[in-house]
Amino acid sequence: MQETPPPAVKIDVPAPKVEPSAAKIESPAPKTDGPATKVPAKAAAPPPPAEKPPMKESVAAAPVKSPTLDLALLEKRLKETSAIGVFTKLTLKNQVDDLLNRFRAHYEGRAKTTLADLRQPYDLLILKVLALLQDGDPSLARAITDSREAIWSILADPARFKTL
Amino acid sequence: MNCRLTRWAPILLTVAFYAGPLPAADALSKDLTSTIALLGLPCGQVVSSRRLGENDYLATCKNKMRYRVFVDAKGRVVAQRQ
Repeated sequence: MQETPPPAVKIDVPAPKVEPSAAKIESPAPKTDGPATKVPAKAAAPPPPAEKPPMKESVAAAPVKSPTLDLALLEKRLKETSAIGVFTKLTLKNQVDDLLNRFRAHYEGRAKTTLADLRQPYDLLILKVLALLQDGDPSLARAITDSREAIWSILADPARFKTL
Repeated sequence: MNCRLTRWAPILLTVAFYAGPLPAADALSKDLTSTIALLGLPCGQVVSSRRLGENDYLATCKNKMRYRVFVDAKGRVVAQRQ
């Protein structure tokens, strides 16, 4: 069983994007806080301004907010919301079904996709739904945002996916 | 009572005539706009639409493109450029 991927961790270093599933934490880059001009001869390390606690490795395992996911309720709310028209709802449903078929093909070995390949269309679909809901039904949009990772954890787990 | 009703009736009818259909048409245009956008087709915004049948509309976009938006036999929403 795969764990819920931890929330994306922001890293200050302008490095290539870290995959969300592999939220890698690099050791806090020892900032060469060497003010080139005013270095006193005495190399006494100036105390950092606010004594930041060192970044721990355990940040990656930060308590993942595990929202209680009620897929049936979310589906019901989506069906009933007046923020989206009938054609739009049907189009979204078609696209959800298409994505589920891609997952099915992936798990059945019929497609040469990886889970990482499927994450992008999943994110895109979620964004489409959020864009459609954010003005007309912000509470539902928030509920979907909060459930985003929980839904992904189901999709990314073949055993749980089968139960859908 | 009757007199009051007859006095208000034309006003209410006028309001209903002008205000009533507008939100529905607006909602439909918005729905068709979202649908066409979700299908990845260029449109911008639907400025007018005509009903062709059950779940079947001809939408005219701001960019002058026209799409027939309908639900096919498989239950899929299709936007066909006209």
